[in-house]
Amino acid sequence: MSNASFPLLSLIIFVPLLGAIIVALTRNMPLAKNIALLFATLELIATSVLVGCFDSESHGFQWVENYDWIPSLNIQYLIGIDGISVLFLPMSALLTLMAILASWRSVQHLTQVHFALLLALEGVTIGVFLALDMVLFFLFWELTLPPIFFLISLWGIGSERRSAAIKYTLFMMFGGVPLLFGIIILSVNHATATGGSIPFDLAFSLPVLLATPITEHLQAWVFILLVLGFAVKAPLVPFHTWLPTVAMEGPTQLTALLTGLKLGAFGIIRFAMPLAPSAAAQFSWILGIIGAITLVYSALIALQQTNLRRLLAYASISHVGLVIVGITNLNIQGLQGAIFQLLNFTMASGSLMLVAGFIQHRLGSTETIHLGGMAKVMPRLTCFYFLFTLASIGLPGTSGFAAELLLIISSLLAHPGISIAVLIGAVLSAAYMLSFTRRAFFGPISQTSVKQMLDLRARELTLLCLSALLILGFGFFPNSVLKINQTAAESWLSNIIKQPALTQTQRSTKY
Amino acid sequence: MDALVLLIPLLPLTAASIVGIGQLFGMIQGELDETKTSHMASWASYLSCLLALVLLGSDLLDKNTGSYTLGHWLNSDTLDVQLNFITSGFSLRLAALFSVILAIVMRFSINYMHRERGYHRFFFFLCLFAFAIHLLVLSGNAIVTFIGWEVAGLCSYFLIAYVYERPVAANNATRVFVTNRIGDAGFILGVGLSYAWLDSVNWGDITAASEHITIAESTEIALCFAIAAFAKSAQLPFTPWLARAMEGPTPSSAVFYGAVMVHAGVYLIILLRPIFEHAPLAMTVVAIVGLLTAMYGFIVGLTQTDVKSSLIFATSGQLGLMYLECGLGFWQMAKWHLCAHAVVRGYQFLAVPSLMHNMQNLSTESSSRRIPAWLYMASLQRFWLDPMTDWALIKPVRCLAHDLSYFDDHIIDSAMGTPVPAIQAISSLAQREEHKIGAHLDTEADHFALGTGLAGKLTQGLATILHWFESHFVLRGIGQNTINYGRELGHIANSFEQYVLRPRYLVLFVFITLLVAF
Repeated sequence: MSNASFPLLSLIIFVPLLGAIIVALTRNMPLAKNIALLFATLELIATSVLVGCFDSESHGFQWVENYDWIPSLNIQYLIGIDGISVLFLPMSALLTLMAILASWRSVQHLTQVHFALLLALEGVTIGVFLALDMVLFFLFWELTLPPIFFLISLWGIGSERRSAAIKYTLFMMFGGVPLLFGIIILSVNHATATGGSIPFDLAFSLPVLLATPITEHLQAWVFILLVLGFAVKAPLVPFHTWLPTVAMEGPTQLTALLTGLKLGAFGIIRFAMPLAPSAAAQFSWILGIIGAITLVYSALIALQQTNLRRLLAYASISHVGLVIVGITNLNIQGLQGAIFQLLNFTMASGSLMLVAGFIQHRLGSTETIHLGGMAKVMPRLTCFYFLFTLASIGLPGTSGFAAELLLIISSLLAHPGISIAVLIGAVLSAAYMLSFTRRAFFGPISQTSVKQMLDLRARELTLLCLSALLILGFGFFPNSVLKINQTAAESWLSNIIKQPALTQTQRSTKY
Repeated sequence: MDALVLLIPLLPLTAASIVGIGQLFGMIQGELDETKTSHMASWASYLSCLLALVLLGSDLLDKNTGSYTLGHWLNSDTLDVQLNFITSGFSLRLAALFSVILAIVMRFSINYMHRERGYHRFFFFLCLFAFAIHLLVLSGNAIVTFIGWEVAGLCSYFLIAYVYERPVAANNATRVFVTNRIGDAGFILGVGLSYAWLDSVNWGDITAASEHITIAESTEIALCFAIAAFAKSAQLPFTPWLARAMEGPTPSSAVFYGAVMVHAGVYLIILLRPIFEHAPLAMTVVAIVGLLTAMYGFIVGLTQTDVKSSLIFATSGQLGLMYLECGLGFWQMAKWHLCAHAVVRGYQFLAVPSLMHNMQNLSTESSSRRIPAWLYMASLQRFWLDPMTDWALIKPVRCLAHDLSYFDDHIIDSAMGTPVPAIQAISSLAQREEHKIGAHLDTEADHFALGTGLAGKLTQGLATILHWFESHFVLRGIGQNTINYGRELGHIANSFEQYVLRPRYLVLFVFITLLVAF
């Protein structure tokens, strides 16, 4: 595979990492903040340029960079983008920028380290989106852990933040093991399938592994292992319990990143399904049912929540369920809807979590009992809260609608039974978001602390405006997103549905 | 000429976005800026009204082509959602009528809402609603109609919660929105089924292809859309939301629940006439539901003591009659009924405040004498529809949510295992110290490594066994020679590592890992 003329992707990975080092070494605190902001902005610009240069018509990976890393094992430094991953990059850059701006004043101790960790997290997260070599991917995947661990345990807002950080680490470690096994099986299978000797013919690069034939039996194992690994991170029921804990204990800017960037769902799209195509086609309905259960189950639990952060965590889990349903429908609408929904939730859930952070910063709580009547004192915050809420429940005009529409239609085409679950989820999402809104934002003001709250500051207003504009922009012009991933979605699908038998059952429902 | 249709919804949307953005950034606020807002809103609605009338005129003169397509809004695989509009026939007539009503209400509200606290907010949502209802009526495909449908519902939510400080208003708004959301689910299901079976979401294609699908299929599609229509027009069993919606200001009640929005359901049924005519069962359902609602509205309306409530039940009843007409196949009559009802009811709602003003000192007589006691009771209680929904739907969902929440916190979370909280870990360190100096203060819980959950317990058990092994065999057995053995072991480990670094052993290692994996 030839290298790109300009190493833009490496630049995108290493700019934030470099920024992290510089910020950590800067003594002057205000300067460090500004440097962090500068690097986050640079990153956003670089990723936007990348989207601008992206050729949505061509199949396969673009901007590929390929260098040997560990030659004895055929491990490469292989990165590249395609229509599926390209839009996640500016989104994560934007969300990190928003997280940095949101925590501008709220982080008082070890400020440099905090911003450095945020930038480092951005770098490795983008690495996860870009990596095309399984070992490189696994490296980035596991590297997300240390920054998150320290961010939770050092700047968490709950009293049990250390425990939450350990809980998160244990869950992620548990998820990493099956992932690693899956990767090893795949690479050994490549060596045996090509008839080569083991150390010299191992392969870890995704394009090579995609071309390697795998027996049905082995595919099932690979699929189960990879999905298990990604399900913990996504998270799917029953591996979801870390997210509400982290949302309650961790800092909101980090929780915004965790709920906004759903790496687990991306991993299932990128690796689990294409690497075990026939197993994916065979077992997709099981995964779809798990997704539907996650969707309805956490929507019901969200109805019961009295704390905004916890509610948002369950809402986010419910959204992951919806995305998984879309992926497993195995049609273009499903995949495009799933990607669209992921992008939408990056903006909507991430921003909602930041709004929760603003409330937390002002009141010291996001519990309904301490809120009530906020619409009167904070009309601007309420406006933005509503916009993001509406995007998250999929109202027309916001990006959530186009995504939800595609997902509902795709599940109707593939599994009509599951589409009922999706519709129930849509009704429930309105119920839990709006009933919380009613208690927190409407009604008379009961607390004196609420009465004295300040509305959004200029900095907060700016960062919320950024994501609000994107939400409305995507909502009004959904084709701008769909065009970019149309070709990639088609080739993704044709890779999985090779068996004619399946395509027939897929279309048999059609008139 | 047809291109003008684009401006009809676009003008109110522009006005709404200017008012909304201005308000958000503090450029429009307070009483001084009231004229700015009102001018913007009223001129947008006058102009769109004028355009609608011009378009109607040219349609009557047969100058319109009947449809206008702007471009593609959303493409995915074969799903192609266009931005297309209907510029002739009943849709356009209805749009013209609605735009006239909206212009009148807009003018009425300028005076009525003067010096209200949410003046600008009110006009923002009224303009947004004007956009939504024009989109709903004029759109040439189901999905854009649905956008209008849902945005109209959203505006209704915000105007019911207009006085959001009052808990009743906020509560009712949420309830109304969630009820409507059930109807929306029906709508989107109908759209999805049409796409699955008819391969198109354009109204024209859907109605044209109705001949080619089986009766079962068209019945399913028709029933899905009928649910949406019933929810929007407050037919049984969704009727109670309409009474709850009366919390908003009078002009918005007039335009939403009197003249315009509640008629959207009937419009949808009329639009889908070929599908319904192909589905006798759906026609019967529509007729029966319409008849029942009409009776319900009549009986409950008899015992209402305030003018807004009686108007609401009268509206419900009239809408029921329209559905009955549709169900029986009197489509033309339903259309006329719709238009006439919109005009009359809109006027009545707007006249309510002055009516109340004029009747201040007059006593009114309830018409309860005419009906038997049991019916009177049922009518007073509005046939217990709200408590029934609470009992049958909301309470079970709440209970289920509560149980699941308990299950999640106590069973799944503990099965997955939680790390020992920091404080407990520290205390166990302290216990260890105590143990070392021999002060057995608390012998019950001096385990150093405690695990919870499935994985935790397993690890804990394994650790206990290994610890026992270590202390009984390794440590005691070797004793003083530990250091020597350790050195020797170090040498072996070194040479072992050298071996391992050779590729073939690495491969062996990979194989062993694989074996473990299976």
